[in-house]
Amino acid sequence: MKTKTLSVLLLMTTFIVVVSFTFSKQQPKPWPVPDKNAKMANPIKADASSINTGKASWAKNCASCHGKMGKGDGSKAAKLTTHPGDFSAAATQSQSDGALFYKISEGRDDMPGFKKKISDEDEIWSLVNYIRTFKK
Amino acid sequence: MKAHTTLYNRSHKAALVLFCLLGCLNFLNAQDSTAVKEEATEAAAAAPKKSKPVPNTFENIWLLDNQSVMVPTKGSFQLDFMHRFGTIDGGYQSLFGLFGGINIRIGADYVPREDLMVGLSLTEYNLTWEGYVKYAGLKQTKDNKIPVSVTYYGNMSVDTRSDPTGGLYPHGTDRLMFFNQIIIARKFGDRFSIQVAPSLTHVNVVQGYYPGDTTADGKSVLGKEMKHDHFAIAVSGKVKLNNTLNLLLNYDQPLTKHLTNNPNPNLSAGLEINTTGHTFQVLVGNYRYITPSRNNYYNNNDYKDGQWLIGFNMTRLWNW
Repeated sequence: MKTKTLSVLLLMTTFIVVVSFTFSKQQPKPWPVPDKNAKMANPIKADASSINTGKASWAKNCASCHGKMGKGDGSKAAKLTTHPGDFSAAATQSQSDGALFYKISEGRDDMPGFKKKISDEDEIWSLVNYIRTFKK
Repeated sequence: MKAHTTLYNRSHKAALVLFCLLGCLNFLNAQDSTAVKEEATEAAAAAPKKSKPVPNTFENIWLLDNQSVMVPTKGSFQLDFMHRFGTIDGGYQSLFGLFGGINIRIGADYVPREDLMVGLSLTEYNLTWEGYVKYAGLKQTKDNKIPVSVTYYGNMSVDTRSDPTGGLYPHGTDRLMFFNQIIIARKFGDRFSIQVAPSLTHVNVVQGYYPGDTTADGKSVLGKEMKHDHFAIAVSGKVKLNNTLNLLLNYDQPLTKHLTNNPNPNLSAGLEINTTGHTFQVLVGNYRYITPSRNNYYNNNDYKDGQWLIGFNMTRLWNW
């Protein structure tokens, strides 16, 4: 009887562990950015107007997945295959403006490309400026 | 008794001329841009900066009961789902119109080339199919070189109700209505946008009557209760309340005076919620037909008599 109970417990534990690993969020894989894009300078000055534009665009286009403060805790984040990441951390903040612009524009996997959704490039650069305000 | 006109009348020629004019303006603007580009190649440092259009004057093609000045980017595809409930004056018995006569429209819009949108829709009322085209001829620029955006909207609608005896529509063309509109808009700062949109509705068949007069050869003269052409003007605005919520206001004023059955103006207000792909507009207004020609020509709801109705527009946009 005791052996049977232990076997059931072991089986259940194994099942839970396997399921947990199977459905857990994947960590982001490397996202290479072409050199010329990474080196692009941000033509939009990070002034109050640009930050406001970026903030409005963030609320409309990004917050549902990336969260209000870029922590990756938006309401849709749980549905994503890849965790959206914490934008206040160095992993994001150490990237160049050009690299962030490229990733927002082109997208990849769960992350949609926004170059057609946001037709004004200046607005995407303003988004980059707004993402800088998340820095710890 | 019905009175007819030919399909290609003067009003359509006028609309065609306006459409061509917008096309020419856009072409000349493009020529300017090309010229600037060539100069930039020759002397990049000295070249003037290219004017950039002001974004998000309005954030959806729909502005309550009217089209906004906006044409989405090339490759965009949008589905529209629109409801207009019954008038609220029925009170609790119709749950303020929510259980009343509902009108529904399902539409699809596509942007095959920059600044040009085409669409097709079906509205429940009279099983009305609409085919429409929208062309952004001018766009307000950030440097104010172009102070306003100008868009043309043309719509043809067909009543496809069954008419086996031909009593409803003796001729196929009697089922057609046309709507042409020039939309002029400007964004003021970050929070406020306004647009003014004069329109011309053409109805192929109108109700006739015999006023009692006769011609020289003794035939009865046929009078028309309403004119075939109807001019109107719409004034609409957007006030940004926060980053995802807008207040929308709209007023439609009929201009043409008919012998009888003059349509009433429409006053509407609504809230708009925007996300990347979805827009949701919930509104209170007087128009119930959704089809623009029918709204402008036949609206008999009067806000002075409390004939308001609740409605909503939902859209889903994809970019390819």
